[in-house]
Amino acid sequence: MTGRRMLRRPAVRAWLLVGPVTVFLAATFIFPLVEILVLSVSGGNHWADAYVEFFTTDFYNIILLRTFGIAFLVTLFCLLLAYPLAYVIVRVGGGLGFVLLLIVAMSFWTSFLVRIFAWLVILGNRGPVVGILEWFAPEDTPEVLFTRFSVVLGLVHGMIPFMVMAIYASMRKIDPNNLRAAASLGATPLQGFRHVFLPLSLPGVVNGCTLVFIICAGFYVTPVLLGGAQDQMIAGLIGQQIEELLEWGQASAMAMVLLFAILVLYALYNRFVGLDKLWG
Amino acid sequence: MKTLIFIAVCIAFFIAAPLFIVIPMSFSNAQSFQFPPPGYWLGYYEKYFTDYHWTVPTVNSFVIATATMLLTMVLVVPAAFGLARNRFLGRSFVNYLMMAPLMVPHIVIALAYYLFFGPLHLTGSHLGVILAHTCLSVPVAFLIVTATLKGFDRNLERAAMSLGAGPVATFFHVTLPVLRPGFLVGALFAFLHSFDETTVAIFIAGGDAATLPRKMFESIRLESDPVIAVVSTLLLGLVLAGTVIGVFVRQRNERSSTTHAD
Repeated sequence: MTGRRMLRRPAVRAWLLVGPVTVFLAATFIFPLVEILVLSVSGGNHWADAYVEFFTTDFYNIILLRTFGIAFLVTLFCLLLAYPLAYVIVRVGGGLGFVLLLIVAMSFWTSFLVRIFAWLVILGNRGPVVGILEWFAPEDTPEVLFTRFSVVLGLVHGMIPFMVMAIYASMRKIDPNNLRAAASLGATPLQGFRHVFLPLSLPGVVNGCTLVFIICAGFYVTPVLLGGAQDQMIAGLIGQQIEELLEWGQASAMAMVLLFAILVLYALYNRFVGLDKLWG
Repeated sequence: MKTLIFIAVCIAFFIAAPLFIVIPMSFSNAQSFQFPPPGYWLGYYEKYFTDYHWTVPTVNSFVIATATMLLTMVLVVPAAFGLARNRFLGRSFVNYLMMAPLMVPHIVIALAYYLFFGPLHLTGSHLGVILAHTCLSVPVAFLIVTATLKGFDRNLERAAMSLGAGPVATFFHVTLPVLRPGFLVGALFAFLHSFDETTVAIFIAGGDAATLPRKMFESIRLESDPVIAVVSTLLLGLVLAGTVIGVFVRQRNERSSTTHAD
């Protein structure tokens, strides 16, 4: 078969087009991940040594639980704040809706580091919040920065745009005629919301919660910069193993545990919703 | 409904207001992060634009993001065509592979690159960061380019071919001009994704290849350097300008599409 005729075969042509990116990702994505998988099982005498150590050390278990606890809290707060905001953007619309949407978009595009810096100033020892607290309680002013509070606040503030965008995307598709139909059949506005609008907006809620929880559980920068030693999350722990302790095997095992937990969440999402809908 | 609007405005205030504190901070003459600032000057702006500890990472970020954008588009555009227009063995595998970097936490990828690039002497090099960022930008650009391709009416191509245009001429005179806006958005997202990427850069972009986010991270964590306020203000200004331009372009497009309809 000549080269020209080979090229006419659809499969060959398709693989010529997708080949470069496949090779690139195999080399820069799959291979490095396989390498840390291998590293995580080849450190000790037994392949599972690093994993056994991880799951039997209280210190590590606490950090793992804390990671999911904080991610859950942040997801919950994001949902509570983002849902009414998205609702007003879609249902009120007009100039106000547009401005609110712009604010969310602006925050979405602002670097996490800029947002973290802003919170460092606001919550810091020489900032306005501590200033006000000192005025009320000059004796024992509570610490605000480098606490669980500042980590959750920073993460919620950073993740809200993701949640709003996800919920907004599904609310926008709801035909207002559905609500009119409900009203014409005698539903009060609250009943219309509860039985028509809320169920139709749930796919966006599920998307937003999945995204925010997953991003939070693996987030490095915010907990490291806004939290204290008591608020370390698993990403920070992995970073510490790399930077300070040079424990590659242990770091790799932790990375694999985190990756596995997140892949389980993706698998659940894929099972019940379908992965292609997550980033739609 | 009025209460609800009030609540929404309060939430929007919580989202937007904290960001703007970086503006007065950037003109502050304090040595540390103090608010309200004790006095005002422009010295930290001068420092940002002249101190090589800040100018080098800034230039690096632009160079790395531009290279990432180009490499990403060279890889993604053909692949998106191949996936959108062919059924072949391994198609769904490639589809999943191209989205996979989006699913792995950045700290895991950072660790993998740290260990993988080290022996290859790619840590602390521009090339290493460009390769890493391209890997992370592929899914983002792929999503956008694929969405653009799905909206493309292939009858346009058939019409060009039936009028005697060859496949190459059809691509450059029909397909590309129609798809160009979507490709540009994909490229812009790839650029911004790299420009903004922090976690991987913290671990592999050391030394000469330090990017702006890495430098910002270090200056927040280690030195409390007030120049960070200047950088933050400039980045916030870029986002605001981008938002305004985005709104302007959209309104102009809507206006031109309505005049065409007339």
